[in-house]
Amino acid sequence: MPSRYDWVIWTVFWSGLALTALFVGGPVLDALWLSLHQASSFIAEPRFVGLANYGRVVVDPEFWRAMGNGLFYALTSIGLQVVLGIAFALVLNQTFPAQRLVRGLATLPYLLPTVVVALTFQWLSDGSVGLVTVLMRDLGFGTIPWFEQPWTARMSVVLASVWLWTPFVTICVLAGLQTIPPALYEAARVDGAGPVALFWHVTLPQLKPVLTVVVLLRGIWMFNKFDIIWLLTKGGPLGATEHLPIMAYKRAFSLFDVGGGAAVATLSFLMLSIVVTIYLRLFPLEEKR
Amino acid sequence: MTTRKTGGLSRRSLLTAGAGAAAATIYMPAVHSQVHELRFLNGEPAVDSVRALRVAAAQYEKERRIKVTIDTVPSGDAYTRTVSAIKGGRPYDISTLIFVAHVLTLANEGQLTPITELVNRHKWGKRILFPVNGQHYWYMYDYNLCWLFYRKDLYDSAKLEPPKTWAQLLENCRKTSGTEGGSQRFGMATPIGNNDATNWMSLAYMWADGISLFDDKWTNTFASEENRKRAAAYLDFFGEMYKTMPPGMTQAGFGTITAAYSSGQAAHAPYAGRLIEILEQRAPQLADKYGMMPYPDSAGKQAAVNHGYDGWVVGKTPMAEEAVRFLEWFSDAHYINFLHSAPLHFQPPRLDIYEDARWRAHPLIEKHAGAVKTMQGFLDDPNIVIRSVDTEGPAPDLRPAKIFESWVFPEMLQNKVLKNLSSQDCVSQAVEKMNRAIAG
Repeated sequence: MPSRYDWVIWTVFWSGLALTALFVGGPVLDALWLSLHQASSFIAEPRFVGLANYGRVVVDPEFWRAMGNGLFYALTSIGLQVVLGIAFALVLNQTFPAQRLVRGLATLPYLLPTVVVALTFQWLSDGSVGLVTVLMRDLGFGTIPWFEQPWTARMSVVLASVWLWTPFVTICVLAGLQTIPPALYEAARVDGAGPVALFWHVTLPQLKPVLTVVVLLRGIWMFNKFDIIWLLTKGGPLGATEHLPIMAYKRAFSLFDVGGGAAVATLSFLMLSIVVTIYLRLFPLEEKR
Repeated sequence: MTTRKTGGLSRRSLLTAGAGAAAATIYMPAVHSQVHELRFLNGEPAVDSVRALRVAAAQYEKERRIKVTIDTVPSGDAYTRTVSAIKGGRPYDISTLIFVAHVLTLANEGQLTPITELVNRHKWGKRILFPVNGQHYWYMYDYNLCWLFYRKDLYDSAKLEPPKTWAQLLENCRKTSGTEGGSQRFGMATPIGNNDATNWMSLAYMWADGISLFDDKWTNTFASEENRKRAAAYLDFFGEMYKTMPPGMTQAGFGTITAAYSSGQAAHAPYAGRLIEILEQRAPQLADKYGMMPYPDSAGKQAAVNHGYDGWVVGKTPMAEEAVRFLEWFSDAHYINFLHSAPLHFQPPRLDIYEDARWRAHPLIEKHAGAVKTMQGFLDDPNIVIRSVDTEGPAPDLRPAKIFESWVFPEMLQNKVLKNLSSQDCVSQAVEKMNRAIAG
């Protein structure tokens, strides 16, 4: 006979499932349906065109450029966020005066709204009067072309993203570090391990479950990240920072091509699903028994 | 029977009140739909503009017993909000729109009420009405023409004349560059990023030189040999002018350009009347030292200003008739009050307004009468071309809108100044991108 506790679990489970179906499944199906139709706006009568939108999108060189931009943006920013996040977490895991205050400050960028970070970054990197621009110029490094060249623009959006979201990795890794039993370090030291060996053979393996989740989440979020890039560059210059979410948005909301935008979004969703599936096969979240 | 009391309330009365509130909540949309209310989506978020509309709304409610609710969004979000409201089942009775393709889309989908009779009651300036299938759907409230500002004091001290050609403008940009009070002053500030500002501020040199995008049969005239040559010459000129600009122009938007001019960082800048208002507010020492001119061409034969416009549409709603009555009522004194909320930026599209003593009586319009005369002259002078990417072609259409939104011309400029491609290659790439945008 089911206990009262079971009823609570099932109620929560079905409620969650219903909400997911409504707010996630519904829009996904709607996007899929739209991608099979041609419409110039969301109020226009859609005309069924089958897979024509997909055919049109995949032969567009801008689609593949956007895909490459998205991969570069996601991989570079995740790599930097993870490396820096681990480094900051290792420092914050040490005991030092005002440790709590520093930990609090370290999470600050993550608490700021993206628009604030984007505006601050623009202010710091303004080509003429930006604080960092002027500082670097005064130090003799010349004027940094933050957004003036395709590669520097790509790196600038990565930099802004790393600034904003590294604290998330730091917090997660810091929590992971505090679960590592000190006995493991003591045993390794007895075997003659130095700081580097301790990190490679004790810390990193122990952090693997945390890092698996962090990389997965950050990967999904960065691949779909729209706001920071849109606020900073709108995909420019010369399409250098235009990735699939921006391309989908522009097609659907600016270029009067709702079906094309939905096709880009659907393809992006499919590709991300495949990558996530492969990732979970390679790095399963549960240890095999 | 004993009743458990809670602070003077019985459980029964609480339950009854709760049920009543729930029923009222369910019934409220039905009640709301019967209330005589006009919903007005305003796209001018400046506090004075909102206030002008609210005053009008309060006055209308007092006179006609019709409530007018004003919702305000940035003008760039007005179309999205309008469409969302239609999709959500509560369309706006009146909406602000700032892009001709959006009016076309809504009109073609049967979401707008024609206001041809109301529009035809007035005489309008050139190229400001955009009829769709012979009907007017848009009641315009301003021109946002874009022209060039220059520092008159610098011109006087260097004995420079307002330029008539690209070469003269380039020379003046070079001669007005320098240092002032320890800060570097640049000759020109013009955006080149992927944004509306670039489409609005950086392309009128092409219109002045006779470049067009479409003919009356929607043939891509930009691809013609003659226009390719003209566009390449424009890029050669722009590439040289770019050297007189401050760094960071890929990120420049409307605010950056006004800041560059009003702070003294740039000696020339493109903008509309808003820049004079900004000078009055933030840099009064420059407010009587500006000069205005249209964009020159290459040979000194013609000049241009970039087109800009804003207006209101009436939705196809149960309150549409009342909305038209409201606009009719609004189009006299309150229309002028609204124009006064940005007196030099909201350039009147209705020609009768220029003669209206009430409009002319605004202190800033009186003070800058010379500028107002120049602005009016842009409409009257047959040698001044008024064009923009989004209004190209014989009638409102999605094709120019797609070219506008694809950043075809901002990227053409970027190819020239950031990638140093030859001007011919930049034009060829623009033609290809244009064709892709039209076909897409």
